[in-house]
Amino acid sequence: MEINRRQRPETAEKADFILPAFSKYKLENVPDIYFIPKHDLPIVRAHFIVNNGSRFDPLGMKGLSNLLSMCIDEGAGKLDSLQLSDAFDILGANFSVTANSDVTMLKLQTLSDKFDAAFNLFKDVILSPNLNEKDFLREKRKIATRLIQLEDDPDYLANSAFEFLVYEKNNPYAYQTIGTKEGIKDISVENVRDFYQNNFLRGNSAILIVGNIPEDILLKQIDEFSRTLKSSSNDHFAQVPPTILKQKLFIINKKDSVQTEIRTGHISSKRNEKDYYAKNLLNIILGGQFSSRINLNLREKNGYTYGARSGFTYNKEASYFGVSTSVGIDKTTDSLREIFFELKKINEGVTEEETGFAKSSVIKRYPSNFETFGHIAANYSNKIIYELPDNYFDLYAVKINNVTLNEINIQASKSINVDNATTVLVGDAEKLDKQINGDEFGEKIFIEFDELFS
Amino acid sequence: MELLDIHCTRYNLSNGLEVILYQNNLIPLIAVNVWYKVGSANEVKGKTGLAHLFEHMMFQGSENVPKEMHFKYIQEAGGTLNGSTSVDRTNYYEKLPSNELELALWLESDRMGFFLQTLNQEKLDNQKSVVYNERLERYDNQPYGLAWEIIITNLYDKGHPYSWSTIGFPDDIKSYTFEDVTGFFKKYYSPKNASLVIAGNIDVDHTKSLVEKYFAGITSNDDSLTSPAKDAILKKTKLVVHKDKVQLERLYCAWLSDKAFGKDDASLDILSDILTGSKNSRLYKRMVFDMEIAQDVTAFQFSGKYSGHFVIAATAKPGNSLDKLKSVIDEEINLVIKKGISSHELERSKNSINSGFIYSLQNIDSLADQLNLYNFHLNEPNSFNYDLNRYNAVTESDISRVAEKYLLKPRVELKIIPEDKNGN
Repeated sequence: MEINRRQRPETAEKADFILPAFSKYKLENVPDIYFIPKHDLPIVRAHFIVNNGSRFDPLGMKGLSNLLSMCIDEGAGKLDSLQLSDAFDILGANFSVTANSDVTMLKLQTLSDKFDAAFNLFKDVILSPNLNEKDFLREKRKIATRLIQLEDDPDYLANSAFEFLVYEKNNPYAYQTIGTKEGIKDISVENVRDFYQNNFLRGNSAILIVGNIPEDILLKQIDEFSRTLKSSSNDHFAQVPPTILKQKLFIINKKDSVQTEIRTGHISSKRNEKDYYAKNLLNIILGGQFSSRINLNLREKNGYTYGARSGFTYNKEASYFGVSTSVGIDKTTDSLREIFFELKKINEGVTEEETGFAKSSVIKRYPSNFETFGHIAANYSNKIIYELPDNYFDLYAVKINNVTLNEINIQASKSINVDNATTVLVGDAEKLDKQINGDEFGEKIFIEFDELFS
Repeated sequence: MELLDIHCTRYNLSNGLEVILYQNNLIPLIAVNVWYKVGSANEVKGKTGLAHLFEHMMFQGSENVPKEMHFKYIQEAGGTLNGSTSVDRTNYYEKLPSNELELALWLESDRMGFFLQTLNQEKLDNQKSVVYNERLERYDNQPYGLAWEIIITNLYDKGHPYSWSTIGFPDDIKSYTFEDVTGFFKKYYSPKNASLVIAGNIDVDHTKSLVEKYFAGITSNDDSLTSPAKDAILKKTKLVVHKDKVQLERLYCAWLSDKAFGKDDASLDILSDILTGSKNSRLYKRMVFDMEIAQDVTAFQFSGKYSGHFVIAATAKPGNSLDKLKSVIDEEINLVIKKGISSHELERSKNSINSGFIYSLQNIDSLADQLNLYNFHLNEPNSFNYDLNRYNAVTESDISRVAEKYLLKPRVELKIIPEDKNGN
């Protein structure tokens, strides 16, 4: 074969990719069921998704949904905490529970031949968790200690302070799912039990199964849910719309820190069909991947950081735009200047070439988002959480491709606004104060992390 | 297990490059994974971290690929990519739609054969600064972030190739010169010191001809590489106290153990699972669940080509001393040695390892890396069954035996305490 190294090789003929198909069942007595068959390996994944994230935590009980997620697998059915854990382990099954701001998710990964046994345990956790006081108190003490431990982590301090300041304290999304020291103090086991009773309900949840399992076995298993899962409640959530803020710079002291954690950004529009695709492409150009403007500037040109990125973070009912990086203390001002420079510059628009790159990278990468059982389950979980249409995955690439340069440029000028940027710095406040001139990045406010939530 | 029988084609090019092909047409993706048999163990005093810095330099372009274009080409084609450096090897990998196989081979071959031509001081200075910041972000500014470095510098003799961390010491990172980097490339980045795995939706014959096209013209150097191996011995237990910006104290105990795929490596892995791998594991149940003296406890067997070590780490809950944690850890180790473990405990660990092998087959890129790993250590890429059988062959008495053999020996005890506290 002849070789010409000077030129990028030509792309070969495209191989076919078929999106995994799914079935959706709406049975009388059970939550929505999504089933995506996948037969290449003897694996099954199950997700139980409950509309029960930390945004539902009442004021004064920030951390309640997380506490429930910690307690729910501390024994269920006839098994206590240790027996239940052992029962999953001996099957070689992986079971976990996580809560985020929107949902609580119970996840199971098992070999196909252990599916029945593992799924029976999974159902027990959902339908009859013990939620006893002894386990509750232990888990609560664990979280209290974890909250102390997290105060040492600059990354956590920066993220939680930024989200709190950008959403503001009356917005449920202002709080980390783990909650606050104050918030968990007065939570009792009764609160956790009530929270479970009021949320683990039909109509407030969905089941997702991906894998190698005959449909009839699956439906028989699911059918058993109907006997115990109670009927639905209404969505009891009242969202406080976030407000657009004036440019401000908050400095959170971490004495003798050798780096500054930087977060900057502002509220953005909710995830909806209209501007999501254009914003997605815009962010790929701005800071969504390695070859983006922000990373090439801060890392590859200036060497200020190991990496810098930007993104639109979508909660179900709200979203924000943010840039994050960590830099040497002495480069904090320089880095902020470069970030603000890029944010202003993008307002002027992007190029055809950048748009072509962004589209190509998203569209051609699409098949690899469906490679593993885990990828497929994660994608369909998002479809459920964000209530995306059934043809969402089929049309995704087409919609990305249809976005015009003009549409991206409208977002570039509309959805990135330095004038509204809330900036959080976590680092040595004394050194940072000396370095940052006046209100170059907005009014300078010094605050201790603990004071934020009080 | 038939599922774990991963049939490969393996051969060498005339320049010595080892090639491993694995065809799996399930989805239209390919993984390209190159291992260079050089890691931090090959570095010399004063230049620690050079292998890792070099990994960064390999993304800075080559004769036909301008700076920043390596990432751009792959991302534009819908691919993902990265590299990593360990004690023994440096790997570079990309996953792409299968119709872009040739792009990956062009890029990998260009930096294997035509890297030095475009290397310059500016690129080096830039990446030294990036790596220095990487060290600050991932080690110096992380709570407990220096623990690993403190453990290995104390556990291994000065001069042992595992006695420094892959990121390198701060002063060393600042010291790399242009000559250091070019010399490193010439010595280690030769086709005969590398192995190339291509896995996924490929046609084997066509792929062979493409590999020939892009890699056959690259010449290998004449250097014969010497092994940096040196026996590791720790004669006396070392107690180290390190003050950090943390509120909770943490204890680390580390012992020298067996090397990768050594006789006791698999037993030590299972021992770590029996001690801390689940809610019912010995140390977790006692320290975190029952006594609530620890916030977390974890154990693992780290094993490389030349040596290995076994580590137990536990974070104290407020009001509990690290000595109390230590005495419980020692008690439980002694119980494993004297009373042994139950068949149920062993079965639990083995079942999770068995299913873990099957779960691990889901990603074509991690599978490609695993083929390179087996080839590196065992000289046979298709070693999934061999590897699994190592674990299945472990007996209850093996667990007590390795606990006695390794965990009663001298060790490094590292206490990480808050800055405002006196350590004693």
